[in-house]
Amino acid sequence: MTNTAISARGLEKRFGHAIALRGVDLEIPAGASLAVLGPNGAGKTTLLRLVAGLVRPTAGSLRIAGHRAGARKARARVGWMGHATSLYAALTARENLIFAARLHGVSDVAQRVDALLAEVGLERAADRAAGGFSHGMAQRLSIARGLVHDPEVVLLDEPFNGLDRRAAEALAERLVGLRRGGRTLVLVTHDAQRAARVADSAIVLSDGRIATRLGGSGLDPTELENAYLAATDRRP
Amino acid sequence: MNVLLAILWKDLLVEWRSRERVVAMLIFSLLVVVVFHFALPGGATAQTRDTAPGLLWVAYVFAALLGLGRAFTLELENDALSALALVPADRGWVFLGKGAANLVILAVVQAVTAAVFGLVFAIDLASIALPLAGVVALGSLGLCSVGTLFAAVAARTRFREVMLPLLLLPLLIPVLSGAVRATSVLLTTGELPFEPVQLLLVTDAAYLVVSFLCFEYVLDE
Amino acid sequence: MSAPADHTLKPRTLWASGLTLAVLAAAAAALVFTAPIDDTQGVIQKILYVHVPCAFSAYLGFAITAVAGALYLWRNDEIFDRVAAAAAEVGVLFCTLMILSGPIWAKGTWGHWWAWDPRLTVTLLLWFVYLAYLLLRSFTEGSARTARFAAVYGILGLFVVPLNYFAIELFGGAAMHPENLERGSLGAGMRWPFAMAVVAGIAAFVHLLLLRVDLGARRAAAELSAREGEFAD
Repeated sequence: MTNTAISARGLEKRFGHAIALRGVDLEIPAGASLAVLGPNGAGKTTLLRLVAGLVRPTAGSLRIAGHRAGARKARARVGWMGHATSLYAALTARENLIFAARLHGVSDVAQRVDALLAEVGLERAADRAAGGFSHGMAQRLSIARGLVHDPEVVLLDEPFNGLDRRAAEALAERLVGLRRGGRTLVLVTHDAQRAARVADSAIVLSDGRIATRLGGSGLDPTELENAYLAATDRRP
Repeated sequence: MNVLLAILWKDLLVEWRSRERVVAMLIFSLLVVVVFHFALPGGATAQTRDTAPGLLWVAYVFAALLGLGRAFTLELENDALSALALVPADRGWVFLGKGAANLVILAVVQAVTAAVFGLVFAIDLASIALPLAGVVALGSLGLCSVGTLFAAVAARTRFREVMLPLLLLPLLIPVLSGAVRATSVLLTTGELPFEPVQLLLVTDAAYLVVSFLCFEYVLDE
Repeated sequence: MSAPADHTLKPRTLWASGLTLAVLAAAAAALVFTAPIDDTQGVIQKILYVHVPCAFSAYLGFAITAVAGALYLWRNDEIFDRVAAAAAEVGVLFCTLMILSGPIWAKGTWGHWWAWDPRLTVTLLLWFVYLAYLLLRSFTEGSARTARFAAVYGILGLFVVPLNYFAIELFGGAAMHPENLERGSLGAGMRWPFAMAVVAGIAAFVHLLLLRVDLGARRAAAELSAREGEFAD
């Protein structure tokens, strides 16, 4: 296992003739956590999807723990929590997690599912259909689902969206806890304050390029906020 | 293999909870029988029973198209498709799991439809039940293999309800051809003819293998 | 909006078109003047000089679409997708000509416009596969997704031809197609005009294919430079 969790060189993604990302270079060491900010349309979600392997780059290279992004070995190491929850409304929380666990070939399914439910605080709602969950509960379940196979790299796309203050705080705490477990985090968000708490470095994207790089051993929330606002203002 | 069983379990569980697809397909199939009765000049009776094999397979194809059209809607709703795309195994297993679930649901509808056909056309199905089930299974394998592949494709295009039949029907002709012939000979002579079964086997093998390999590319992006 | 594609005609394109037209004209002349009138079928048999070359092109076209699609999936290079799309568009043209010329011949010889002759039926199926392919391309959003979906359909669609011919062989369909076409024993004096017609047909197909691929490339280049222009600030 290499020390670099995510390595991107000259990464580029075009959708037809629209250029979503260009000239992206990144080196994220294992255990680090990166926040990705920027205005809408800057390419944040595209970058995350590239790292996940959901989308193939049009140019450049991208490796996850030494494996090409999108290859099976890379997929096994990545946990994904996208905009949508990827949950099945008709299944209970427990069943949703059992399904995810089986898909990933987790060995002790029942035990793992119970542990995850406890970790995200959903034990009491475990046998309720996911369709009836509040947004906050669905987010928690979605995170649990993303972590079911204990991935090295965790990718989150705007996880604080639509959460009330308490839920967002709880989530931020959980993410900090994940980091302590040695996992690498990449977090796309608009929330500069929370990003500064959870991440130790950040990039601000604008028009598909990295406009600003910040941090390394920690982030200053004000600095991050300013960089984000600057990128937003720069938009045509 | 885990992936196949997990998806099969999940799809059948979800279907069992709501039973939407199965019920819709069943009602549709029964309606189709009624329509056939009015479409045939002599009506659907014992006298017109030589039309039964063809009509039965038309009913099966329509029911399959209905069911396959809904096969990926849940996955699209909550972007569960991304979760499936990220499974750390050959994506062909996702295809097999989905295809197997579609096959099981279709089989339930096919059994009931066959029984109704037997009733309406006064055909004794009990004596040929086993070989008939074999032919239906072979035909359905062909239907569900390319069917599942292109259900995933059509789901992500505009006009998906129209796209699926347009894409599938030309591909299903060899399946239909073999299945109808086999069913017809079986109904009249009580024996399973070799040539149509051979066609079905070759078609199924080709479609299954190629669909398995191509599914990888269908889940991208 | 995007800049228009460069539509200026290059001299070599004019030469190629001219050459193709010349070959077609020569073939047409041969078929009208030198080819003998068939004993049994009469002058209507001459439509086969059009029908058969179209058949080669129609089947060749879809084979190219399928193979180019497979290459695209393997290599992820846009050029393969462009060739696949072009081959489908040109191929469907020749397939349509086949479907139109077939019944004309049928009416002249058997007396009715359509019969479920096995070969004509397979051509009809191929035509539907072509149309479905082209519709799939226009109804899918995103060029990478379109290319990928189209490639998958092209590969599966190709199976329609051998599978149905296999079915014909197994079930022994009524062969109404003129025997001399497959056995290659054409009547006296027909060989040269026939060969010329086939060459002309394939030349036309290849020429149109290359033109269409080129058009696709020019459109792509125009779009790209338009987008680059947007970003250059």
